[in-house]
Amino acid sequence: MATFQIKQGRDIKLKGAAPKEIVTLSLPRQVAVVPSDFKGIKASLCVKVNDAVKVGTPLFEDKHCPEIRIVSPVSGRVAAIDRGEKRFLEDIVVESDGRDEAVAFRKFSASEISGLSKEDVEKTLLQSGLWPVLRQRPFSKVAHPHEPPKSIFVHAMNTEPLAPDVDFILQGKEEQFQAGLNVLRRLTKGKVYLCAKHGSRSKALTQARDVETHYFAGPHPAGNVSTHIHYLDPIHKGDHVWYVEAQDVARAGSLFLEGVYSPERVVAVTGEGAGRKFYAKTIVGAPVSLLLKGSGLEGMRCVSGSVLAGREVGKDGYLSFYDSQLTVIPAGGKRTFLGWLSPGSDKYTFSRTFVSSFLPPRKEVSLTTDKHGSDRAIVLNHIYDPLVPLDIMVYFLLKAVISEDIEEAERLGILECDEEDFALCSFACPSKTDVGGIIREGLELIEREG
Amino acid sequence: MKFIEEQLKKVGQLFEKGKPLEKFYPLYEALDTFLLTPGKTAAKAPFVRDAVDMKRVMIFVVLALIPATLMGIYNTGYQIEVAKGLSHSFWGAVEAGAWKVVPIILVSYAAGGFWEVLFAVTRKHEINEGFLVTGILFALILPPSIPLWQVAVGISFGVVFGKEIFGGTGMNVFNPALVARAFVFFAYPAQISGSTVWVAVDGFTRATPLAVAAATPKGHSVVQALGDAGYNFQNMFFGFIPGSIGETSALACLAGLAFLLVTGVASWRITVACVLGLLTMSSVFYFLQGAERLAFFALPPYWHLVMGGFAFGAVFMATDPVSSAATNAGRWIYGFLIGVLTVLIRVVNPAYPEGVMLSILFMNAFAPLIDYFVVENHIKRRLQPKKLEVEAKK
Repeated sequence: MATFQIKQGRDIKLKGAAPKEIVTLSLPRQVAVVPSDFKGIKASLCVKVNDAVKVGTPLFEDKHCPEIRIVSPVSGRVAAIDRGEKRFLEDIVVESDGRDEAVAFRKFSASEISGLSKEDVEKTLLQSGLWPVLRQRPFSKVAHPHEPPKSIFVHAMNTEPLAPDVDFILQGKEEQFQAGLNVLRRLTKGKVYLCAKHGSRSKALTQARDVETHYFAGPHPAGNVSTHIHYLDPIHKGDHVWYVEAQDVARAGSLFLEGVYSPERVVAVTGEGAGRKFYAKTIVGAPVSLLLKGSGLEGMRCVSGSVLAGREVGKDGYLSFYDSQLTVIPAGGKRTFLGWLSPGSDKYTFSRTFVSSFLPPRKEVSLTTDKHGSDRAIVLNHIYDPLVPLDIMVYFLLKAVISEDIEEAERLGILECDEEDFALCSFACPSKTDVGGIIREGLELIEREG
Repeated sequence: MKFIEEQLKKVGQLFEKGKPLEKFYPLYEALDTFLLTPGKTAAKAPFVRDAVDMKRVMIFVVLALIPATLMGIYNTGYQIEVAKGLSHSFWGAVEAGAWKVVPIILVSYAAGGFWEVLFAVTRKHEINEGFLVTGILFALILPPSIPLWQVAVGISFGVVFGKEIFGGTGMNVFNPALVARAFVFFAYPAQISGSTVWVAVDGFTRATPLAVAAATPKGHSVVQALGDAGYNFQNMFFGFIPGSIGETSALACLAGLAFLLVTGVASWRITVACVLGLLTMSSVFYFLQGAERLAFFALPPYWHLVMGGFAFGAVFMATDPVSSAATNAGRWIYGFLIGVLTVLIRVVNPAYPEGVMLSILFMNAFAPLIDYFVVENHIKRRLQPKKLEVEAKK
């Protein structure tokens, strides 16, 4: 057990945090499963429109590895299969019948789980449809059952702006969480690392057994998976590491203890645009409209996940499979006269080019999606490194990716990274460079050609 | 504001795709975003962005140059008064100086801006604000008596061959303003070197401090020789001496440096390293003994800081993030060697009395190599199995 003090990075203290109260929402009438949430999966449909499904009925499976299947979170019927350009599968909408019928699996007692074989655990996870909660690095795609990891990381902290408090979410789920950890133990000969925030008082985390618990302190991205992996078991070429969200570990626990696929998901509804801020107990794939009932969404943008790493879903969209946060912020985009000349005592910036930089920091800031500038060539190359706690020379990695020099990019450590690790760089860049996007393109290129 | 927004929108329609002025869209974009903030929103994560943009960064560099510009205007006029033997008046000096300096700045901006716009239009990219900095930097490193046509030719060469042929802003190997000056220096040496060009009065001759120091015969005191020529540490520090327009006053450069460091726009490492390199090399000469010792060797090392264009170069030229080293270790090496080379060229090379411009250009060429070694070193360290760095924390 150790505590790591992260020095690089910055916290953006946005307005609109969710107070710690959990509200159980009624079962949504419609949910959607979005195949593009599952990176590395080529969807091959298992259902047609109007098919009856139960909780746990496969909706689609991976073309290359059909054991990996994505299942329905509700019982009812398939209402729509939406396709976009080139017949790209956009989403599968399932209409709930409200009965919550589920496919049944074998139950185990807590002590039995530790005696299970790797194959048994794999089979149950794959059949139940819970397997995709396991993701692998490099590339952040769904874990491949035939590529065993050198270690598994449980992601039990989050430092994104307005991020949900993992300690709070795990309250009352101590038993399932520990059972889930035991399940993970079966999957690797290497270590299972549990990464929690420094000062955590959650019993589920501080009293976890049979895993290595580590604590991370410091500003964002201290809570990112890449940061944890980098400090504990860095990835080199050829390595695989798996990671999983703490909430999903509890779901894995309840699958084995109770014998049913649990679609439950606690979601923090945050951001100044959300009418009511709270923790919602709902299910994966829940519609945004259910979470934001009663919010006036005129001029607002709805993001599944955080403002730094999320995906815009719109007010008619659905929560992403892996997200436990919904953020609503004003769109902004108002033009101001001679903005480059304003002293800016109310501007939010990491730089020191506004009066506000020299005023005492505000407790909370209100930010819109305004870009505050136009795209330009990269000129200031010294601002990225202090925002990234990984041992990465960001500017040179960008140059390697832009010139498509895969070998150099790998030597510079791109395999340790994910797009989200550079969100603060994109935030702070005066040239408005999409740093994370460039890294993602590099990773995609390596995956295609490597 | 509504009115301006509407007018811009109306004018903007002429620049849209398929409209007569489509080609000149970058020009419209530049004007449009100069008057009003762009108002674009983030299409993908991160959905929030810092309030700072390139316009503001570049404007801040220009603001940092204001003390040097104002001082340059005043001093140019002051030197004219002294040369003509006129009685001194502050506003008289400012007026005389402005008549010399402002046209140089305007020509530099106009010619530089022309090329910037031409390349933006043909390459279909936006106009980068960097030319606002290049334009004034170039003007400030010229002698006040420079013919205006040479200003135009020089900045054209700098922008086109120093920047655009490398791919434009962010891609250039050399600092474009220095490329421009080097071009004028080698193409028209009569107008930019010697003893007659530093005061904007025809036929007036006065050697710069560096020329005086370099010409001091062996066995004589260089401080004495400078003193006889009317130069002491104080007037070189404040900048009431002949020289390039913006370079004479170390004080004005210090003010600019303070502004750049407080706002975090420039890397302090390079400037500090330049000063260390300069002091180290000049101290080596200072303590060197023997009969063959040049008189210049005996100049107190800190005098080098206020002489010639060193202060200006170390603050505004060497720190250009695009053409300097981009690793922290590299910045130290790069800056230090600029300081060392500056003294070497000044003191032991009889051909060029001033060495800052050449040493920065020289190190611009070596910056990628320095970075290459620093990055290779970083990669080697990365590939070694890492020991768990644990910091126990209560």
